[in-house]
Amino acid sequence: MPKNALKYMVLLVLLGVVAYHSVYFKRLDEVKGSAGPNAGQAFDAASYAGTFWTQKLLPATAKATDFDALLSLLKTDKEKAFNSYSHALGIGNIRYFLVKGTSKVTAVGDNDVTVLLSSGQSVKLATDYIFGNAARDVSGLIQITEFDNTMDLNNVSAELNAIIRNTVVPPLKASAKPGATVNFVGAVELNQAHLHLDTIEVIPIVVGYGAEGVGKTALKVN
Amino acid sequence: MIMKNRYFWVLILLLLAGSCTNKSDANGPKKVAVIVSTLNNPWFVVLAETAAAEARALGYETKIFDSQNNTALESDHFENAIVSGFNAILLNPTDSDGSIVNARKAIEAGIPVFCMDREVNSPQAATCQILSDNYSGCVAIGKYFVQTLRTKATNVPINYVEILGLVGDNNTWNRSKGFHSVVDHYKNFKMVAQQSADFDRNKAMEVLESILQAHPDIDAVFCGNDAMAMGAYQALVAAGKANEVGVFGFDGADDVMNSIRDGKIKATGLQSPQTMAKTAAQFADEYIKGKRDFAKKIPVAVELVDQTTIRDYPATKKS
Repeated sequence: MPKNALKYMVLLVLLGVVAYHSVYFKRLDEVKGSAGPNAGQAFDAASYAGTFWTQKLLPATAKATDFDALLSLLKTDKEKAFNSYSHALGIGNIRYFLVKGTSKVTAVGDNDVTVLLSSGQSVKLATDYIFGNAARDVSGLIQITEFDNTMDLNNVSAELNAIIRNTVVPPLKASAKPGATVNFVGAVELNQAHLHLDTIEVIPIVVGYGAEGVGKTALKVN
Repeated sequence: MIMKNRYFWVLILLLLAGSCTNKSDANGPKKVAVIVSTLNNPWFVVLAETAAAEARALGYETKIFDSQNNTALESDHFENAIVSGFNAILLNPTDSDGSIVNARKAIEAGIPVFCMDREVNSPQAATCQILSDNYSGCVAIGKYFVQTLRTKATNVPINYVEILGLVGDNNTWNRSKGFHSVVDHYKNFKMVAQQSADFDRNKAMEVLESILQAHPDIDAVFCGNDAMAMGAYQALVAAGKANEVGVFGFDGADDVMNSIRDGKIKATGLQSPQTMAKTAAQFADEYIKGKRDFAKKIPVAVELVDQTTIRDYPATKKS
C-alpha cells in the first residue's frame, strides 16, 4: 500500500470523526421543551393539587367562616365582608369565601343538593357543575408568583375540581335525602360589584351527614 | 485674525456641547410607549387609549404604536422606542412566543415592559404581565353554555362549532381550554368543527358560512372573542338560523353587550381592558419612581354576562 494512500485514509477517518461529532440531529419539540421557562421539569398539576388538597386546603377548612354570620355581614357591610373573608389570586370583582354550615336538605336535583341554613337562607351544594377556581383560590394559600405558566395554574384548578368530583360529591349525593342534616365546608364565588345572595352555589370541600357527622368525612361545626 | 479663529472654535465647541443631550432628558417629561397588537379591533383601541390616557394623567408623554398583528413590525416599534429613549413600554403582544425576542430587547436595554391582556411565554421578557383570566372566564361561559343547551334537549346530541382566535396567541388556547374543560365533560356535546378566524369579524362570518354548508344542523357557536361572535351571528342571520343557534362570545364589547340585551347573543365574558391598561400604566409609573418588586403575572377577573346578569350592566349607546 503506498504511503500516501495510508496518509489520506487516516486523514479521511479523522475528518469523518470530526464531522460526526460536529453535527447532530434532535427532534424540534425536544429542543423547544428544553429551552422553555420550565426547561426539563414538566409541571405535574395532579401531584401539586393532591399535595395542596391534603396538606393545605383540608387543614384550612378548620378556619372556614360561619356561613350564616357571613351572609348577615354581606347584607350589612359588604366591603368589610369582602376585605376580611374573601380571597382571589387576581384583581377584579370575583372573590371566593371559605364557608362552613350546618343545614337541612330540602331538595335533591340532578345538578345540586338544595339545603336550608340555620338562618333560613337556602343555598345549593353543587354536585354536577364542579368547575372554576373556587377550590384553588378560596384558602389564599397559593401564590401567583409560584407559577411561570398560567396554564399550570389553570390545570391546578381542574385537578382540584377532579378531586372534589371523585371524593366529595359521591358521598354527598349518596346520602342526600330531604330532611337529612348535612354539615359542610365549601367555597363560594361572589361578585363584589354585582352581589346576588339569592342564588348562592357552594363547591363542597368537606361534607358529613347527621348531627354529629358520619364516617371519615364527618365535620364538626363550632 | 487669531481672535476671529478663537471665536469660531468657541462657537463650534458651544454648538457641540449643546447638541450633546441625553435622549431621555432628565428634566423633560418622561415617555411611555404603548405598543399594541392591532388597532383594527375596537377592544384593543380601548386598551391602548386607556393606557396612554392613564400614563398622560400620571405626567408622561405617550405614543401609541400599532403592530398590525405583525411581529416584524412590532420589532421595529421596539427598536424605535429604545432609540427614542422611552422610559417604559406598555405592551399588548402580537404573539406569545414571537414577541419574546422583541420584549427582551427592551428589558436588556433597561426599559421595563408591562404586558397588557396578552401573555409572552417567558417570565424574563416582561417586568410584569397583567392578564385577563381568560381560562376562568371561559370556564364560566362553558358552564352557562352547557346549562342553557342542556335544558333544550337533555341527552340528545348537541352539535356545536368553535371559532378560534389567532393560533399563536396564548389567549386563544386559554379560552378554548377553559371552555372545553367544562363542555368535554358532557358526552352528548359534539364539536363538529373548530376553525380559526384570527379574532376577525369578517373572517368569522366567512368561516361560519363555509362550516354551515357542511354542518347545517348546529345548535351553538362558541367564539374566542366578541368580534368573531358578531361575525358568526351575521352568518347565521344570512342563513336564517339566528333564532335556532346560540352564539357565545368573549370580551364584553359594547355591540355584543347590546346584542345580549336584545337576546341575539347568548353570553360573553366581560374583560376589563380599562383595569389592565390603567394597572399597567400605574405600574410603569411606580417602576420609574424606583419600585422593582412586581409579581410576574397578575390575572384580572373576567365576569360572565348572560341573559340574566346583563341587568347588572348599564346599557351603552348603540352605534
